[in-house]
Amino acid sequence: MTRKKVKMAFITNDSARKATFKKRKKGLMKKVSELSTLCGIDSCAIVYSPYDSHPEVWPDGRGAHRVLAQFKRMPEMEQSKKMVNQESFIRHRITKAADQLKKLHKDNREKEITHLMYQCLTGKELQGLGVAELNDMGWLVDQNLKEIYKRIEGLKKAAGERDGVEEKPAAVVDGSMQRAALQQQWFTDEWMGNINPSDNEQGVGGSFAHGAGDEIIMQFNDGSNHAAAMWSNVFFP
Amino acid sequence: MAKKPSMGRQKIKIEKIEVKNHLQVTFSKRRSGLFKKASELCTLCGVEIAIIVFSPAGKVFSFGHPNVESIIDRFLARSTGPNSHDPFYLVEAQRNASVRELNLQLGQIINEVEVERKRGENLDNMRKTNESHYWWEAPVSKLGLDELEQLRDAMEELKKNVTQHANKLMNPSSVFVPNRASGVFDQYESKPSHGIVSSSHVNAAVNSNFGYCHGFF
Repeated sequence: MTRKKVKMAFITNDSARKATFKKRKKGLMKKVSELSTLCGIDSCAIVYSPYDSHPEVWPDGRGAHRVLAQFKRMPEMEQSKKMVNQESFIRHRITKAADQLKKLHKDNREKEITHLMYQCLTGKELQGLGVAELNDMGWLVDQNLKEIYKRIEGLKKAAGERDGVEEKPAAVVDGSMQRAALQQQWFTDEWMGNINPSDNEQGVGGSFAHGAGDEIIMQFNDGSNHAAAMWSNVFFP
Repeated sequence: MAKKPSMGRQKIKIEKIEVKNHLQVTFSKRRSGLFKKASELCTLCGVEIAIIVFSPAGKVFSFGHPNVESIIDRFLARSTGPNSHDPFYLVEAQRNASVRELNLQLGQIINEVEVERKRGENLDNMRKTNESHYWWEAPVSKLGLDELEQLRDAMEELKKNVTQHANKLMNPSSVFVPNRASGVFDQYESKPSHGIVSSSHVNAAVNSNFGYCHGFF
């Protein structure tokens, strides 16, 4: 098997072309033979070349005639339905490759946006992002939230069944407030952002009290979930 | 090492495949590969070929260059040489030119596919590395209740900020944006908004400088 990548164009060097022809023709005949045996089907191959006045034929002259007769017995439409030539075959390959490319683009886009989302989750600025990225990211965040809520519900349900007790809303809020304080801690520890660790407590209190807090409060008016309510409790005692 | 998508090349014995499903899959793949090899042989060496294959279901597939019928006729008539005085010779010359172009186009797009595939692989590797370092990047199914609730809150916060920013960009006139020279307006692409942008009626003027998402800070 060759290691070099072959350029898919007519080989202009005569001896190279002849050598390639010999090798590849042999390989082609082998492939036809294998296909026939493995799948138990009839087939034939006919190759005309400038190197031989007679065509090379698989399986042999007789076998080829038999298959051709079988072929001609079929209705015209059946014959041409799956008939291709170089042009149509290559076009078909181009279409398939184009579809493959489209899918890869889409998948890679999702991977990129996922990465971006996690970066923004841990402090990357949204300022420089375009509408398309924001929209895509928003959608992805929604998808993730769906999954998260689903799993939270599942876990709480399982826990509830196990404990045999209904969770009281008040208890949840208290526990959550502590968790919220904790999470600030955890993100501090793990965050790779550019906040000065020593500024931590103050920086947090500072930025939220400054203006971001206003935003959060205003958003509450939309009737958002109680998680947002936790925020104001934690950072605006 | 990344998980391999399939088993790769397995050496098989050349005898009739017993399992019908395997047989059909093999036929489909190998027939396609056979035609590809034939096509390449024609391109590389400028030879004329016809291949006829009957499928296990009885349908017939055929590949021919310049075309199946002319090769069959030539073979059955036992004439041995191509006829360059054939009036269709010029047509064929043109056809060869278009085949050349198509091959170039195909080569190009195959390269693009390869580039994109490698990009995907790199992104996958990055994701894998990050998943092992940062708990919040792990799949949701692997997180505990505490972690999930934290993540939920972080995501909700991000969602709000993203919505605000998107609104800002889509309704520039209603927003006091200190620096409009950021070139973001170049990036309008038609993509449906997935319903996230319409929800907030926040007074955008308040957002002027504080639309930054600092995670929990």
